[in-house]
Amino acid sequence: MTVARSAPRVTPRPTFAEVAEEHLDDVFGYLAYLTRDRGQAEDLAGSTFEKALRLWDRFDPERGSARTWLLGIARTTALDWFRAEARRRRREEAAALPERVDEVFVEGLSPALEAALATLSAGEREVLALRVVLELDGDATARVLGISPTAVSTRLSRALKRLEERVNEG
Amino acid sequence: MTEIVDELRATRPRAGDALRLQVLTAASRPPTRQASLLDRIRGRRLALLVPAAAGLAVVSAVAIGVTQPQPSARDAVSDATTVERSSDGSGAELAAPPAAADSGTAMAQKAAPGPVTGRAQRYVATLALAVDDTDALSEATQRALTIARDLGGYVVNVQYATGADGTASVTLRVPAGRAGDAVTRLSALGTIVAQNVQIQDLQESLDGLDRGVERLRARIAALTVQIERATTPAERARLLEQRAQAQAELRELRASRAATAAEARNATIQLELRTEDGSGAVVGSRLDRALDRALEVLAWEAVVALAFAVSALPLALVAAAVWTTRRTRRRREDERLLAAS
Repeated sequence: MTVARSAPRVTPRPTFAEVAEEHLDDVFGYLAYLTRDRGQAEDLAGSTFEKALRLWDRFDPERGSARTWLLGIARTTALDWFRAEARRRRREEAAALPERVDEVFVEGLSPALEAALATLSAGEREVLALRVVLELDGDATARVLGISPTAVSTRLSRALKRLEERVNEG
Repeated sequence: MTEIVDELRATRPRAGDALRLQVLTAASRPPTRQASLLDRIRGRRLALLVPAAAGLAVVSAVAIGVTQPQPSARDAVSDATTVERSSDGSGAELAAPPAAADSGTAMAQKAAPGPVTGRAQRYVATLALAVDDTDALSEATQRALTIARDLGGYVVNVQYATGADGTASVTLRVPAGRAGDAVTRLSALGTIVAQNVQIQDLQESLDGLDRGVERLRARIAALTVQIERATTPAERARLLEQRAQAQAELRELRASRAATAAEARNATIQLELRTEDGSGAVVGSRLDRALDRALEVLAWEAVVALAFAVSALPLALVAAAVWTTRRTRRRREDERLLAAS
């Protein structure tokens, strides 16, 4: 009697082009919420994928999904941009960040929700983007943000509460 | 709340066509940066470095052990040569260990000093030799006996045994003046594994005995005169008893002197012969020596690794502390930045 042994299943590693196509909207959406600027989000998304292409050989599927990996790179890229912006504004002796030009950074949002989102901090918007818009689970979000899943929960709860208050106030 | 969440999800941002085209065009190009070796072995695969390094250490130790085995017994003879002199007066310098291991005879001539002429000395030499097999053992034993007779000496004891390993133990006595020759000729019977020469000066002891004999002889002569002049039987009896005592002491002293002189007249040579293919304790096989050498190299590698770890540990701890501090500070700054944006 022969026993057929099935070979261990090995998930083929996707190509970078496949990964980019699959997660481009996620990366862009996250950056759009984070920066509240569609144009800037597009620039940062482009930079994110350039960086990801350079680092693609380092990507290890056993340590996390490609989506989480890309969002992590997007966050680093965005933080670099935030820092550069802060330095630039300090050089311009602006005491506070200037009000952003009101523009539609998410198409289809009601004006009240759009306005309410504009009052949230970038930190609050990013946790909303990851957990609510992109529907990442708590662990994946924690990996992207570099905090614990409990902290993610707390931050999300606080952001949602503030957002709801602002919508109701408006 | 639910409405807000639903609305956020329903209006999920989509990348524009221009961005999509830009990213997908770039993504379809091959990466310009080749992954470095460090990149390829990152993460958990770094853990493979530990067994790999251990394996490399073992392989290198075995390679060194095979190519440079421990010195064999015949190579180790220089370390096994000892010369001891006791008492003072003999004066000659200790022989230096020989440089060439295989030149047994030449080495023996250099390493084994003979008794100093003109002084009475106790000379005891022990030679351990390795021979190829039991035939060579038998021949070497016979030749040792012949050498002793040729030099005017004699055989005190012979023990000869063959089995899994052959051994022979021969005790010879040869005239002290021929001891050097004897050691030289006996050394040529095999490969020297070890040799030990003990030289004890007996001249002072012999001179002391001579002085004691002279003193007793003088005392006996004096007592003889006193006996002839004794006036009473009691005095004569007492002096006779004293003289008898002195004569007994003189006999003992003369016997002792004769024994000491005899000891100095002949040198004792203890010859130990053993076959090379016998017990590995004397001459280990090449495999044994290679293993010994490999273990020695491995031990040194472990010592070096341990020393490196001990010296690098403080630096590693400091580096880890700096890295952790900077990471924590960076995160806090990021949080502040995002909270303010």
